[in-house]
Amino acid sequence: MAARLITGLTSGAGYALVAIGVVLIFKGMRILSLAQGEIGAFGFLLALRWSARGVPGLGWHISPFVTMVVAVVVGALVGALVERLVVRPLATRPPLDALIATLGIALFLALLEKEMFGTAAHFAPSPVGDWKIELFGATLTAPRVIAIVALAIVAFALWLFFTRTRFGLGVLATSGDPVVARILGIPVTRVYRFVWIAAGALAGLAAALLGSAFGGIAPFDMTRFGLSALAGAVIGGLDSIWGAIIGCLAVGAIEGVVGGTFETSGTAELAVLVLVVGTLLVRPRGLLGSEAAA
Amino acid sequence: MKPSQALALFAAGGVLAASFLVGDVKLSILVGVLAVAIAALGLDVLVARVGELSLAHAAFFGIGAFTTVNAGDRGLPWPLAILAGVVATVIAATIAGLPSLRIRGLQVAITTLAFQVFAESFLFTRTDVTAAGRELVRPPFLEGDVQLYCFALVCLALVLALRHRIAVTKASRSFFAVRDIETRAKCFGVEPGPTKLLAYALSGAIVGLAGAVFAMKAGSISAKEPFLLFESLQLVAIVVVGGRGSATGILTAAFLVKGLSQFVTTVPIVDLEPDRIFPISAALLLVIAVVAFPAGIGGVYRVIGRLVDEVFDPAGARPDPRPQPVDPAAAEHAAALRDVPRAVRLRVPTPALLVADAARVEYGGIVALDDLSLEVRRGEIVGLIGANGAGKSTFFNAVSGLGPTTGSITYRGEELVGLSPARRSALGIARTFQDMGLVRAETVRQNVLLAQTWLVPTPAAAGLFGLGQSVREEHDLRRRADLALELFGLGHLADVRLGDLPYGTTRIVEIAASIATGPELLLLDEPSAGLGPEESHALADSLLALRAELGMTLVVIEHHVPLIARVCDYAYCLESGSLIAEGRPDVVTQQPQVIASFLGRSDAATGGVSA
Repeated sequence: MAARLITGLTSGAGYALVAIGVVLIFKGMRILSLAQGEIGAFGFLLALRWSARGVPGLGWHISPFVTMVVAVVVGALVGALVERLVVRPLATRPPLDALIATLGIALFLALLEKEMFGTAAHFAPSPVGDWKIELFGATLTAPRVIAIVALAIVAFALWLFFTRTRFGLGVLATSGDPVVARILGIPVTRVYRFVWIAAGALAGLAAALLGSAFGGIAPFDMTRFGLSALAGAVIGGLDSIWGAIIGCLAVGAIEGVVGGTFETSGTAELAVLVLVVGTLLVRPRGLLGSEAAA
Repeated sequence: MKPSQALALFAAGGVLAASFLVGDVKLSILVGVLAVAIAALGLDVLVARVGELSLAHAAFFGIGAFTTVNAGDRGLPWPLAILAGVVATVIAATIAGLPSLRIRGLQVAITTLAFQVFAESFLFTRTDVTAAGRELVRPPFLEGDVQLYCFALVCLALVLALRHRIAVTKASRSFFAVRDIETRAKCFGVEPGPTKLLAYALSGAIVGLAGAVFAMKAGSISAKEPFLLFESLQLVAIVVVGGRGSATGILTAAFLVKGLSQFVTTVPIVDLEPDRIFPISAALLLVIAVVAFPAGIGGVYRVIGRLVDEVFDPAGARPDPRPQPVDPAAAEHAAALRDVPRAVRLRVPTPALLVADAARVEYGGIVALDDLSLEVRRGEIVGLIGANGAGKSTFFNAVSGLGPTTGSITYRGEELVGLSPARRSALGIARTFQDMGLVRAETVRQNVLLAQTWLVPTPAAAGLFGLGQSVREEHDLRRRADLALELFGLGHLADVRLGDLPYGTTRIVEIAASIATGPELLLLDEPSAGLGPEESHALADSLLALRAELGMTLVVIEHHVPLIARVCDYAYCLESGSLIAEGRPDVVTQQPQVIASFLGRSDAATGGVSA
């Protein structure tokens, strides 16, 4: 039980990395992105392909650690591309339009992955070493431990960013009212680009850690991880980073405990559905979300 | 019939006739395409009409299909099996729609996503739901592919008929009001909760029928692939690429995404198998459509139709977007009434119609209305003036039931505080909003009909099938709408989209909509804002005519002092939620504290306010 809980929490930490990106995008643009899971998976699958068959033209078989770096960089690039080509033109349209567009991107990337890498799962060696630790009866592999560490570092860095830097304040101002922010001289377009690049990089990191934690990754796997992350973000409140972390840890814990305890398939998903709907019915803005996230 | 409509009928007939010539195997594929198209048409009811996105429609599709097969396997005759599938899906969709009563668009999409994941991992993995080998026995006359195709076409026709009913009855107005002006529509008598659940139920009924068509074609279902999240996303793609709200566009898109790959063996240039390249192209098309062409394929059809109409009728009957002159006799009548010497006009010595007694509105720590007391007497036109943020619109919200009010507001002696907005409307209070309380995407007539929602006791669901008194009520509503529009010279614009009209005209439409219910008390929030001098003058005539001809009492929020001076019998001036002056408008607007409040300083004295 305790072991399942702890393993679940480490998965939740991975979801939280994705969910923080979702929250950043929502804070910056009032847009809900359904594409973060796929954006992360695309970079990591590409990296695994290069690790197995060599980088095209160069022939280098990149090391497991470099696969994580590639996933982060490709995630950031895809994020930047999506922001420039798709989302920015939609910034002033009803939020549902942007939601549908990100859904289209998720669909496109998932099919592209299937086309490029096939439907079979790709073995993903741990990018952060092969050690493991024992904790309350749970055996945690390196990617799981690092997911927790990475989450703590990212949360701390973002806290510094939003409280100590002018640009961070600018992101917050933009989320309040983009028109006023623009008038006040905040580079709104740069804010948009920043949140998408950061979210893409985090998604890549999460894909590398989650993919290797579960031993391998197939196209559409990250769709599931992305959904868990979205559930966590909605539970925590769409514009709260701490809320997203709490929400994702809760989702991970529930998946770990419920999924591991009951034989019937789908009980974990049922539990997550109940948690999401229940939280929103009691508190439409989520646990820590502001009024604007309702 | 317009030329474009004739062309559309001809084209549809041609496509239908040609579809019978493709051969039995292809026809069977087309039945599958039709099932998906019907599911997409069901999703479209939610997306286009109510503005909610469901990502669980593939799960609903599956619930409909599995229930139909299981019901058939238990020995129910096929029509009852189909009915069971539809009913089960209606129940599932309504349950999945329950969260929308509490939360809004984006979060609802996530809860439906969670429902989809739950359904495919919990419901569709249970052998008592899906077990292969169960079979729905088709009647002999539905055995062949041609027969099944005809059956699917009949189902499609049923769905199109239902969508038509949704478009022309109370349901349509309730839906677009919830989509665009949810809070304000409460004043019209639209109840958001039941309206949303009705939308989910209708959408579920259509998708359930789609599932039943799928089940009738398959007989038994062994794979859950057609009902997974991926298909939910594809349904969204079909709706958006086809064009939200356009049945023909959605049918075309469904064929492109689901059918075309079976009809072409290879794609030229890229030389890839069609069933690999088509889904990914559809995803790309979805993104492109949302960004660059939100109207989708249906939008292309509309453009073609407009071009065809223009070729056949180059003059084009474009109505004048301004109000036309009203019956001169009526105007003269009203003008004569205006000639009362200012000095002899007294406050009408009749009982008060509306009395606010210490009405208070607070938001958090902010006091928006600070124990305001005032009264409006029967037959008066009362002006409400004051700077921005003085609490004028807040007072209107308090009277119409849109704000958290304490204290007392009575109307004809009846306490309003605590009543629902719709009840207050039914008591005879109507209002307009400073920034358009109507739906721009809909026609003038639809908006005027929307404003009368509370006049119709029959529920929207019954109206869909013409049950009860709904046919007579609808007829009555249309007559009232026409009368209200004629009164403002707007009759010729009834079928024009509100958003296509100049701003000044839309303000007049809003007044026409608010009086269509025959209110006794009309609250107008800055009716002259954005009007030119001439329009403003005509507005004053209209307001005076409303009192003279319809016996209405008016409260008018205004910044335009000449208008107040011309039409109002009495004026109240607010500042920071409290009353600072009252009296005859020409006197009130000269008082130093009023001038100070308007201009922000006390030495602005001479000549009064001319804001």
